Amino acid sequence: MNRLLWFSVVGVLLILLSPSTPSANEAPTKTVAVCTSCHGENGLPADSNIPILWGQEFYYLYVQLKDYKAGRRANEVMSDIVANLDKATLRALAQHFSEQPWPSNGYRAPDDEESKALAALGAGECVQCHLGGFEGNSRIPRLAGQQADYLKRTMLEFKNKVRMNSPAIGSLLASYSDDDIAAMAHYLAGL
Amino acid sequence: MSFRFLIRPVLVAVVGVMFYAALPIAAGAQEVGGGTLYGDMRTVTQDMLSRAASDGNNFLHTNGNYAQTRYYPSRQINTSNVGDLRPAWIFQTEVVESMETSPIIVDGIMYVTTSFSQVYALDAATGKQIWHYKHKMGPITTYCCGPNNRGVAVDGDMVYLGTLDAKLVALDAKTGKVVWEKQVADPELGYSETMAPTAVNGKILIGTNGGEYGIRGFVKAYDAKTGELLWSFDTIPENSVGVWATHDATGRDLHRDIAAEKATLAAQGDPYKTLGGGVWQNPAVDLNLNRIFFVVGNPSPDLDGGIRPGDNLYTDSLVSLDLDTGKYVCHFQYISHDVWDLDAVSPPILVDVKDKSGKMVPGVLHGGKTGHIYIHNRNDCSLIRYSEAMVPQENMWVLPTAEGARMLPGANGGVEWSTMTADANLGLVYAINLHQPMTYHVESSPYPDGKLWLGGAFKVIATEEQWGNVTAVDYNTGKIRWKVKTAQPMIGGIMATAGGLVFTGEGNGLFKAYDSETGSALWKFQAGAGVNAPPSSYTVDGKQYIVVAAGGNTQLNYKRGNNIIAFTLAD
Repeated sequence: MNRLLWFSVVGVLLILLSPSTPSANEAPTKTVAVCTSCHGENGLPADSNIPILWGQEFYYLYVQLKDYKAGRRANEVMSDIVANLDKATLRALAQHFSEQPWPSNGYRAPDDEESKALAALGAGECVQCHLGGFEGNSRIPRLAGQQADYLKRTMLEFKNKVRMNSPAIGSLLASYSDDDIAAMAHYLAGL
Repeated sequence: MSFRFLIRPVLVAVVGVMFYAALPIAAGAQEVGGGTLYGDMRTVTQDMLSRAASDGNNFLHTNGNYAQTRYYPSRQINTSNVGDLRPAWIFQTEVVESMETSPIIVDGIMYVTTSFSQVYALDAATGKQIWHYKHKMGPITTYCCGPNNRGVAVDGDMVYLGTLDAKLVALDAKTGKVVWEKQVADPELGYSETMAPTAVNGKILIGTNGGEYGIRGFVKAYDAKTGELLWSFDTIPENSVGVWATHDATGRDLHRDIAAEKATLAAQGDPYKTLGGGVWQNPAVDLNLNRIFFVVGNPSPDLDGGIRPGDNLYTDSLVSLDLDTGKYVCHFQYISHDVWDLDAVSPPILVDVKDKSGKMVPGVLHGGKTGHIYIHNRNDCSLIRYSEAMVPQENMWVLPTAEGARMLPGANGGVEWSTMTADANLGLVYAINLHQPMTYHVESSPYPDGKLWLGGAFKVIATEEQWGNVTAVDYNTGKIRWKVKTAQPMIGGIMATAGGLVFTGEGNGLFKAYDSETGSALWKFQAGAGVNAPPSSYTVDGKQYIVVAAGGNTQLNYKRGNNIIAFTLAD
């Protein structure tokens, strides 16, 4: 995402956002608009490094927002956004996005990587938590049909100890080659 | 004066009154779909539960009876006719996901559970649905190894269920409506229920999931009628360090650095608060001793022993409690300070066994992830013997490393949560095994407040072959009597019958019957999805059935499905 756009977004955010205490059941429309400016009006982000939120598991989203706020997960844009949001708002946002339908990412994984991806996913027993269709459940995120670049970047960030808010995943991904990670990311995005 | 002339009219009147009085009962029975004119045979009494081992009609406990032998006394289906076994009916549940349920059958009504804590009541003769309970799951569920449910307990007119969001739910057996619901523990911290509860003497017993999340494990007893908590036993005592055992139950060196552990203990104190120790499966009950026997799962975090000094009591142990009070009686720890997740999960079995001098004593059997079956003295939990290894063992007990150390068995065992079965007439216990080579990786991290806490990673070695076994072990000698190799690692359960058979299923969909004396495969059926649940049996209208769930398995990623299949002999 280019620097000017990034600064513009953050600038707008800092002006627009103020601490708010909405009802626990509603995500404030203003704040949702801030999210969709990056995460997509119809749920599909234009930038494939930005994850799909629509239809993601509620509790996973809520934990990630809390982790951003507490500094357990770091991202320049996200950390600024949540800094001024209280827990009730974070919860309402997570609820809002979890209730939307998951968009199609239009991605097709390369056929020649499939067996490598399946072997790698089998070795890590990933379905034990992410379940058979990689659809996730509760605190475990859906991976199926997520953005390919985001998945690859995320897995590499876990491997390289950049993302630190799930130590078990970090340890597991540290045992994979970058090639295996790329194959898994492509396969999962293509589901 | 004789009143004999009154007899007939009085009789007619009495019968007439009885007839009219019976009508509402009959009408009422139709409304609830099954009571009889002569009283409701579906009410489960403690007497029925206590003598379940000799009940050839019902299947009242997850593991057949309180001793958990999973030995079914009916012999209508036997070695001479099992070749004629064929499906009587197939019921397909709404949930298409891993199935680990043991069907329970009470007077022709079957209760089965699915992933995500749903319950079905079915007509056991026809497979027709009677009711369906869909648990309203809370938003937070934290569990290991699949969103499974291993079955219900039955008592009185109630059906009891543990749920993924850590609740114990009591349902009306006739309607499936909730009678009471209790929050057993906090799901956000890693507590969850995938196990079946146990009903005994007006109490419902339940353990907990969570050894992968830094819980403090327990077994709890609730009042069956009201849900009031009667007692709670912590599987992790406040003083968890034990005796600093340097070798495991089989005498192998655990390579512990006791000095380093003692230094950590001095600096950080006892790690009991987040030490793990879930109880995955039903306890066995000895009503004569008035005690229960269960096994305790792994310490948290699974692979990183550096931050949890001491033996980590009572993880990886057989434990016995007083049934009335929940007070500790005895324990035996299989692996002290386990850093391989080779914990005790397969439910223990109570049978009489020969002790070291050849005298018959009350015993306890447990199939370990280590690949051995352990045989104990029931009175004091002491170990009498352990069996030959049922699966290859290599490099035990190499310590996990950052790059990964290879050891056999892999972290799924051995014998996993799979139930065993015992035929006391033959003196044999039967286990289903896994051979699944893995590397064990260690990487330390602090307690993560309810997130997955393994202290490293387990990795299946993709280039090495995997397979399974069905193994029969003589528990009076520890020797393997017969062993049949299977194409894939086994997980689920096995049942023996008085017909001379053992039944068990495989991840590739094959459900098989073997001759329990010799291991000859006598019958098989392709169920269309992984058969990774323990089978049950029952008799209705004079016909014996074998029933099993075929829904695949999350842990080993076997093909998912939603079938409950009941088999009977062809006419």
